[in-house]
Amino acid sequence: MGLLRILDVNINYRLKSKVVKAVRNFSLDVNEGDIIGIIGESGSGKSTLAHGLMRILPKNGNMEAAEIVLNGRDISKISDAEFDELRWVEMSIVFQKAMSVLSPVHKIFDQMYDTILAHRPETRKEEAKEKLLGLLSVVNLPSEILKMYPHELSGGMMQRIMICLSLIFNPRLVILDEVTTALDVITQGQLLDEIDRLVKEFGLTVMMITHDIGVVNELCTKIAILYAGELLELGNVKDVIFSPFSPYTKALVESHPDLNPHGSGLKGIPGTLPDLVNPPEGCVFYDRCIYREDRCMERKPDLVDFGKRKVKCLRAGEING
Amino acid sequence: MTAETRITLSRKDSRFSKSLNKYFSNLKGVVGFAILIVFVIMAVFAPLIAPYSPVEMTNEVLESPSLSHLFGTDHLGRDIFSRIVFGSRISLSVGFVAAGLSAIIGIFIGSFSGYFGGITDDVVSKVIDTFLMIPSFFLILIIVSIFGSNILYIMLIIGVTTWPTNARLMRGQALSIRERTFIMVARSTGESEMRILFGHVIPNGVFPVIANSALQMGGAILTEAALSFLGLGDPNLTSWGKLIFQGRPYMTFAPWTIVIPGVFVVLAVLAFSFIGDGLQHTFNPKTKEGE
Amino acid sequence: MARNILEVKNLVKYFPVRKFGKKQFVKAVDNLSFSIRDGEIFGVLGESGCGKSTLGRVINRLEQEQSGTIELLGETISGKEYRKDREFRRKMQMVFQNPYDSFDPRVMIYKSIDLPMKINGIDSSPENRLAKMIETMNHAKLTPAEGLLTRYPHELSGGQLQRISILRSVLLNPKFIVADECVSMLDVSVRAGVLNLLLSTQKELGSAMLFITHDISVATYICGRIMVLYAGKIMEIASGEDILRSPLHPYSRALVSYSPTITREEKQRYRISGEVVTPIDPPPGCRFASRCPIVQKKCAVEEPTLRPMGNNRQVACHYV
Repeated sequence: MGLLRILDVNINYRLKSKVVKAVRNFSLDVNEGDIIGIIGESGSGKSTLAHGLMRILPKNGNMEAAEIVLNGRDISKISDAEFDELRWVEMSIVFQKAMSVLSPVHKIFDQMYDTILAHRPETRKEEAKEKLLGLLSVVNLPSEILKMYPHELSGGMMQRIMICLSLIFNPRLVILDEVTTALDVITQGQLLDEIDRLVKEFGLTVMMITHDIGVVNELCTKIAILYAGELLELGNVKDVIFSPFSPYTKALVESHPDLNPHGSGLKGIPGTLPDLVNPPEGCVFYDRCIYREDRCMERKPDLVDFGKRKVKCLRAGEING
Repeated sequence: MTAETRITLSRKDSRFSKSLNKYFSNLKGVVGFAILIVFVIMAVFAPLIAPYSPVEMTNEVLESPSLSHLFGTDHLGRDIFSRIVFGSRISLSVGFVAAGLSAIIGIFIGSFSGYFGGITDDVVSKVIDTFLMIPSFFLILIIVSIFGSNILYIMLIIGVTTWPTNARLMRGQALSIRERTFIMVARSTGESEMRILFGHVIPNGVFPVIANSALQMGGAILTEAALSFLGLGDPNLTSWGKLIFQGRPYMTFAPWTIVIPGVFVVLAVLAFSFIGDGLQHTFNPKTKEGE
Repeated sequence: MARNILEVKNLVKYFPVRKFGKKQFVKAVDNLSFSIRDGEIFGVLGESGCGKSTLGRVINRLEQEQSGTIELLGETISGKEYRKDREFRRKMQMVFQNPYDSFDPRVMIYKSIDLPMKINGIDSSPENRLAKMIETMNHAKLTPAEGLLTRYPHELSGGQLQRISILRSVLLNPKFIVADECVSMLDVSVRAGVLNLLLSTQKELGSAMLFITHDISVATYICGRIMVLYAGKIMEIASGEDILRSPLHPYSRALVSYSPTITREEKQRYRISGEVVTPIDPPPGCRFASRCPIVQKKCAVEEPTLRPMGNNRQVACHYV
């Protein structure tokens, strides 16, 4: 069942003398229950996309979309005031560093209660406390946490608190923006296990933004590959990772040393990102692609539908996946 | 280095030209610089610009500004315009020397203190704090009345009493720069601490001091003017401040004798303030050209 | 039998920390002993707070240890004041985590490389040094060399800067290189270039390296043997293959099982509880006891010593 339909999103940043086209012609369908991983390296536009969807782009950011349909309603054209109503209630987000989101001088409970009041001003303290305790127990955090200050907690604990906060109003869709990147390996793994449980228990739909393909492999059902602001491949996780159709996906997977002792000859992707102020007319990956042909430079490939897979490459399916 | 090596290592666009472009894209910076250039030309080419001798006394006493005397004459019949032109030499010199001295002392003390830390830093910080508590003008006043009003002393004294702000700025920079990775790299590759201080810490941290020095030049000119106004200026030299002092008794019926030198002092301070802003804009990595 | 290029014995580095008036110590490096063979890339693997970065800085003499000895090629380098001794500096080099900050932003890349060479007496004339630089960069496929040398740091990418960092060290002919999380800040697609450069440096120059990382997949790709640290103590030393296929210490097992991979199979989690421990005045016994799934009474009382387990392995655990 379709939960979110994103059609043709374009996001720009206006710098003094130039415009950076951070996200171009991005379209995506998310079904209920999907755990979709949005993979991208620096400059891919993945965080920009998340911020755009939640309408929290910086002042010089500008998003345009043909359609963004959430729960059957096109939210791309609604006013900011109307969006404020649905933000956190139908769709919420968790950021990378809980440390910078939480105020260091207020207790955890006060901050969470504050958020609740912002959306439901009639909520009483006891009600809020009960709800929060319920959520905390799901992520295995003791109730004492509510009385503590952020600096008394570890990174892993704070991220779990932030996830609880994002679930306060039972949103259908939760965006996780690089939530494990700043955590240690074991803490990251524990958090991913928690997220897995939460998804199953609450029937959540999750959009997981990350640069780590291993994380996507272990947690997600679907995967979307972003490069320099464009969607290059989309499909089921195991299909895409183990038999990629896009040369970028293939190169990305082969750059991952994985748990392979002396897997010698690790290939990176030589070259650098294209200029996002003047993106290329043809394929965005042309400069660095080992499978390129002249026609790839001439015009931009369409996002071709292969059934359960979508790929933006003129040679999709030709390369050995 | 051989010619081939030099050619290999050349680039078309240098950092300096880029900085220059950025500076001149800022309106305040341009205006300040323009005013300063006018004053500098005035000072350097004084004999060619001044229509009369600044000391020649005539019978045309306290004449209001006219075509023959652009800024009028003073109580001894001397042409004020010429006196202003020659006076610029004194005022500007005070500005440059005092602020320059303040900057050099401040950079040395601030960078040593911030980079090496320890007891030196503790002591220096206390000294800086103490100086910042004392109203500097009164300190200068006291010292000048003890040691005398020779222009050299005045420049020295202003320099020696205003270095703490520069030191504080430099120290702050040194404190943050010493934690940077390239400093650890420098140690790791065998650079001596002195070389690191002078080759990396100071060049990277000196900008706030330079911007502040521009302001201090204006400040020094103003201080000297104030000292002269109070009668403590060098008796042998005529700065703009001295002109104001001399015009005082005639303020009510010959205001040009006091207003015009006053305007020049204000313009000088304004010019340096604008230059300071322009420099801050240039050195701020967050601003772009034309902002 | 290859000789040992680095011998570390009973190395201790504590940091004082003041908590509510009481002076306590973070036992960042707590009595470590290990040795690195000539030409080996030796990995130091651990999560934050385990002491790996501190260990790197102490070995590179950017920090002074409290006690213990470090020998480089038989010569004692510990104990001495850490800022002096230029001859030593040339032999021991370090590549840092942040490539963007590893260069003086006001200085052209050429100068940043030339100055260390000049100071260490490598090649007497500027022309010779420049030629050597260009040759080395061409060999490492960092081209066009002249173009890169005339750039300023902010004009280059992270991958380029990190590779130039490595070459800057290599040009000093070091015997030993400490690489501290040198790919952590780089995109995955860029890491291969840096890692392969380190590998070729090892192969062509025979340099030994201390490779510090928190990422087990990177460690097993590049390292021969890996030392697993936790809260300032060594848990296990084994080859990359052994750590992956048959980790012995419970902490190693946890690290392997929690590291995200690209495999088709469902991985079994070796579950451990709790959070990473900062070793501030730690309790007696094994540092890992509070989180260990196979903990017994003895673990909280007696600290396990690092025992050889055959096949060049050492483990610090009572029950393995």
